[in-house]
Amino acid sequence: MTVRGMLKTAIVATIGFAGVAQAEETVVWWDFLGGGDGVRMKKMIEDFNTAHSGAIKIDATTLEWGTPFYAKVQTSAAVGEAPDIMTYHASRIPLAVKQGVLQELTADDWTAMGLSSADFAPATWDAVTMEGKQYAVPLDTHPIVLYYNKDLLEKAGMLDETGKPKGLDSRDGFTATLQALKDSGVKFPLGSVTADGNFMFRTIYSLMGQQNGALMTDGEFLAGDNGAKLANALGVLADWTKAGLQSTYTDYPATVALFTSGEAAMMINGVWEVPTMTDLNAQGKLFNWGAVELPVIFDKPATYADSHAFAIPANQGKEMPAAKRAAVLEVMSWMSKNSLFWATAGHIPANGAVVASPDYIAMEPNATYSSLTANMIFDPKSPLAGVAGPIFDVMSTYFVPTLNGEMDPAEAVESIKEELNAL
Amino acid sequence: MLTNRRKDALVAAVLVAPFLAIYLLVFVWPTIQMFGISFTDAPLIGSGEWVGLDNYTRLDTDPRFRTAAWNTAYFVLLTVLPGTIVALLIALGVSRLKGRLQAAILALFFLPYILPVSVVYLIWDWVLNFQFGILMHVLDLLGLDRIPIMKTRDWFMPAVGVVTIWWTAGFSILLFLAGLRAIPPEIYEAAALDNAGRWTTFRRITWPLLWPVTSLVFTIQLIAQLKIFDQVYLFSQGGRPNDNMVLVYYVFQRAFQQDQGGRAAAVAVTLFVLVVVVSVLQFQLLRLAGGRK
Repeated sequence: MTVRGMLKTAIVATIGFAGVAQAEETVVWWDFLGGGDGVRMKKMIEDFNTAHSGAIKIDATTLEWGTPFYAKVQTSAAVGEAPDIMTYHASRIPLAVKQGVLQELTADDWTAMGLSSADFAPATWDAVTMEGKQYAVPLDTHPIVLYYNKDLLEKAGMLDETGKPKGLDSRDGFTATLQALKDSGVKFPLGSVTADGNFMFRTIYSLMGQQNGALMTDGEFLAGDNGAKLANALGVLADWTKAGLQSTYTDYPATVALFTSGEAAMMINGVWEVPTMTDLNAQGKLFNWGAVELPVIFDKPATYADSHAFAIPANQGKEMPAAKRAAVLEVMSWMSKNSLFWATAGHIPANGAVVASPDYIAMEPNATYSSLTANMIFDPKSPLAGVAGPIFDVMSTYFVPTLNGEMDPAEAVESIKEELNAL
Repeated sequence: MLTNRRKDALVAAVLVAPFLAIYLLVFVWPTIQMFGISFTDAPLIGSGEWVGLDNYTRLDTDPRFRTAAWNTAYFVLLTVLPGTIVALLIALGVSRLKGRLQAAILALFFLPYILPVSVVYLIWDWVLNFQFGILMHVLDLLGLDRIPIMKTRDWFMPAVGVVTIWWTAGFSILLFLAGLRAIPPEIYEAAALDNAGRWTTFRRITWPLLWPVTSLVFTIQLIAQLKIFDQVYLFSQGGRPNDNMVLVYYVFQRAFQQDQGGRAAAVAVTLFVLVVVVSVLQFQLLRLAGGRK
């Protein structure tokens, strides 16, 4: 072959490759899903890629959850190196909008996705809305629930005829259940993440909600009797510690380990631990277990929830080509409409049609705790709130000593109030 | 041989230029910008309004800054001098060994130093974890109450200090060993001929001749420990971060968690000045102390 001939071939080959690359749109994806739900998300991505073979390909990377993830998103968006699509917590959207990290999803975008506000629960839709504009497509809502060991509860005589724990309707009732478990020889009636104040925020916030309390009103933290309501919530948990009814100074992995090893009879944790239990149970390594809505300790049922959503980063100095945007919208739309499998990760799909499907209604343990969707409360809409947000370290610093009996709840609330309002 | 001075200077400039360019670009320029940002209310990304000295004056009444400064000072106290002494003692011990045994023992002491901080954290969490830690089972055996070491204010800093010394002593030991080997054996032979005891030999020969290395180790330790962050961050995740606050953690919290670049920069500048002043002062003092002998 002559030199000229080789050159020709090379040019043809280059053009040919470029043609192929243009035909298949690659969507760069970042998520923070490292647990059992991450495994399920990888399966969904695979399914998507198979269904869109030759047209769209998701190139996914999983990053460290929390501050590392959000710091990386913020810095990479500022220099135009952010991905095309990313998972985002709805509770972080107020801060993200202030930072200018997210692109608005326009009415045309929603039309292109074939989705609208009618497809989501009002609270969930509201969680991705800031000043009338939407910034993300909700994939799920993920509340916390009460996990329980049926074998241990049965032994203590604390299982009712429907197979749920007794005493879920009042503080006294639930404390009596814990006490009965203790008396039957269980080491920790309740496995509590008492070494991690960030995590306990979810439980404590739920207990505040059960008293109609709010963390933030008119931009002020713990105004009026909300401080007293926080103290009540902390007091319940501190009393359980005092009575030896829950595990002390226990971090997240240790709590799950205490529960799965049968040392703790119950555990309040996120629905994202459902796959852990399902998988262990399938391997024959777990007792009979169940999950129900949180007990009503105060006046009414209320459960903290957040929402995993999909968002498009606002890459500085980089306009997203129309073809790419269409591909990203197709990803978000497909994920939302095919989120039934996501429910096996414990999460409640945000798409109403999926939740109404017979397959979902028959799914356990989701069906048992799905009653809580009516009682979900989200984070206050403030740039200071949200997972791993500014208020986290303040809360945690005072929650940990209070929950372990080192500090008086009222004293903790005074300090929290002072520090939060100084943010 | 004839040399062309001008040509030499040119060659030198060309050789230094790449380093200088990179140094100016990724160190000096950002540092200057950091000083600039510290006078504004900028968020983490982007610019802000000029606020004068506000970010600095508010540090005076900022309780969390005070906690951070105290904890940093406490940590320096707990690690710098003890760390240097521990390393010196181990180096003296290791230097008495010979051949393969010496290499093996040295490797054992050096091993922790090559571990990344996340691994160090995991190892010590397995030891200190309140529910499952090995140490807790030892306490149970001894009939003592379990201690939530990383979750209480009183135990936290001393425990992180111990972990840090365990982790970083290896490097100081190497420096000390090099210093010990540089002392000519004839001096020890002469001392032995003069019937000098072990203690006298150490005090009159080893210690003064090792002084330059000792002051170097001390200075390196001081600067490194003033910048403590990783261990404190990892061990207080979800626990009591604001009680365990140290200066670099405070910079991180203001910048990355609270999105306040200006205030974070002010703390960073304060720490920068502190490190420069303390290390210059300290090195001069050590030199004076050494020069007297």
